Amino acid sequence: MNGLVVRGPGTRALLWSLLVAVLVLYGFPFAYLLLTSFKTPLDTIAVPPTVLPQHWTTANYADALSRDGVVPSLINSTTTAILSTLLSLLLAVPAAYGITRFRTLPGRVFIMGALVARMVPPVAIGIPLLSMIRALGLIDTPAGLAIAHTTLSLPLSIWLMASFFEAVPDELDEAAVVDGCGRLTALWYVVLPVVTGGLAVTAIFAFLASWNEFLFALLLTSVRAQTTPIVIANFQTQFGLDWGAMTALAAIYSVPVILLTLILQRHIVAGLTLGAVKG
Amino acid sequence: MRIVSHVRRVQGRRRLVGAAVALVALVATACGAGGSGAGGSEAGLRVLVEAGGHAELQPVADAYEKETGTKVTFVELPYDGLYDRLSSELSSGSVSFDVAALDAIWLKSFAAAVKPLDGLFTDEVKADLFPALLTEAKVDGAYVGMPVWTNAEILYYRKDLFDDPANKSAFKARFGYDLVPPKTWQQFSDAAQFFTGKGRYGTDVKGAVETEYLATLLQAGATDMVLTGDGKVDLDNPAALTALDFYAGLNTKLKVSPPGAAQVDWAAAQNLYNQGKTAMLRFWAHAYTQIPADSPAKGKTGVTVLPAGPAGTAAVPGAWYLSVPKATGNAEGAEKFIEFAYQHNDLGVQTTLGLAARKSALQKYEKQPGHENLTALIAALDAPATAPRPANAKWQQIVDTVLIPMLQKAVVPGADNAALLKEAQAKTESLLK
Repeated sequence: MNGLVVRGPGTRALLWSLLVAVLVLYGFPFAYLLLTSFKTPLDTIAVPPTVLPQHWTTANYADALSRDGVVPSLINSTTTAILSTLLSLLLAVPAAYGITRFRTLPGRVFIMGALVARMVPPVAIGIPLLSMIRALGLIDTPAGLAIAHTTLSLPLSIWLMASFFEAVPDELDEAAVVDGCGRLTALWYVVLPVVTGGLAVTAIFAFLASWNEFLFALLLTSVRAQTTPIVIANFQTQFGLDWGAMTALAAIYSVPVILLTLILQRHIVAGLTLGAVKG
Repeated sequence: MRIVSHVRRVQGRRRLVGAAVALVALVATACGAGGSGAGGSEAGLRVLVEAGGHAELQPVADAYEKETGTKVTFVELPYDGLYDRLSSELSSGSVSFDVAALDAIWLKSFAAAVKPLDGLFTDEVKADLFPALLTEAKVDGAYVGMPVWTNAEILYYRKDLFDDPANKSAFKARFGYDLVPPKTWQQFSDAAQFFTGKGRYGTDVKGAVETEYLATLLQAGATDMVLTGDGKVDLDNPAALTALDFYAGLNTKLKVSPPGAAQVDWAAAQNLYNQGKTAMLRFWAHAYTQIPADSPAKGKTGVTVLPAGPAGTAAVPGAWYLSVPKATGNAEGAEKFIEFAYQHNDLGVQTTLGLAARKSALQKYEKQPGHENLTALIAALDAPATAPRPANAKWQQIVDTVLIPMLQKAVVPGADNAALLKEAQAKTESLLK
């Protein structure tokens, strides 16, 4: 294990201070959300605001979960995000593999085009997507929304997978071909197992892109496929903001992402360092 | 050979993953978990509504289903999202709803995409609706929406403070007249000064929202609300200056409001009152029933109309209208529902918001305990100076880019209100070019 060696207590203290500052900056908003979800209605609107609840309560969670549409929305978010992630990987893996292995001009143009597509603001494609998804009969379905979400995650997925495939030596594919594998068999059974970390990273990005997405969910769903970000936003009405229930649902909605990240943590770290050692 | 054996080992795992993927795909391509859909004819009638207004319409929908057997499905969306959804669907010419609940300020923008409802506006119906709502519902000569509920700002005050004998005598000694719920700007200013101190403020001043200033403008005697009937800008005038001086002066000169007025919006003002930090609150009428049980103001709040300026009391209606998109395939059913909603408008008063649009519906409940706010609401909506916001497609843009920035500058001590109005006039003219 070769870690960086910190010399001197001053440097160590400085690094710790920076670490704590960054942690607070990142963690405080979520911690505040979590604490607010345990506050009573009057505590949530205290002026000036208090960090800790004066009286702890779990009523907000019961309230949030008992609202119409909340549980179905959690199921919809999960289904949509999984399908979008699968779709994104299904399309990104062969695309990235082809681009990195064949190294053709159209391939290079394609990957640059994918990057440009990523820069298009989602709102610009919202109305055309609405028409297309409706024409396909997929309006207000998780499948329709997942397709829309894939338009957001696919460009980044292609780029990520391309960088991971670049780190795998061509000789591995060639050895597989010598052993009787075709190109696709080599990809599926030989190359992909080498880049599982990269796959995990790409899957997480695609999953998060769908899990947190708001605009397409707003335009393409109504009742059956409405996802949780829309339901959370519905707690803020023009007649007021239901802080307690909203923060409770937001806290619940964060749990799967946190769990997923923790479960895949090992793969993510491996994936992030995969491209770094390419020589 | 090593690679081939590796391939065989991996094959088993891959089949398992493949089965899982197929299962997820199967579930995902199903209809979703949110019950019967909003995208097919099996839905009966689909109503697009802002999440906060859903409660107002639910009893009507239940009664409609009971009477006609037609299921009403609500598509609930957040306020901003609702506007985006309406814009995208109405412009695409294909809609996923039969009825839409529209905020008053959107009527002009969407008027061309919704059906005229003139047939529903009989003389009897018109007589039971507030004049300002009728004016607002009519765009380019046609009624494009039926009012379903309306709000307006009223004055909330702490009865316990106003009824306290010590406060009464101290107030009389200081100002020379009895302490009563304020009826005029002068009384409001005096009471606000009197109650400011010891950790409490007399009232709030809202710099981040515009409607209260618009009501003040009407109270000051403005003949037009920012725009004239033919779309010209009329903001740089003496009434507008009187209104702005009074509105902002509460913070800049009298200092009867909490610091940070430029950022105070509806939620902040309501919080301050519910926390017991302000003695008086000018706010929408629905909030009367929403004071938290553990608030110091709970059970100690009185309500009346907004204090009168030179032109008397006045308010700006915050009404919602039911409209039928031209693109719906069920226009007949939609109109039938809207007519039913009008006939059963009083059901809305029994919901959490406790609002309705018909005079008779509000009058039916105004004497009942817990609905004291309705008397003030009716008086506010019936006041001669009360008027709706201008019917202009760029109204929201004027609000966001001109009026609110102007107010945020005006509530800062030392602001030159006359110059601010002149600047706002020019900016609005430029926007409308």
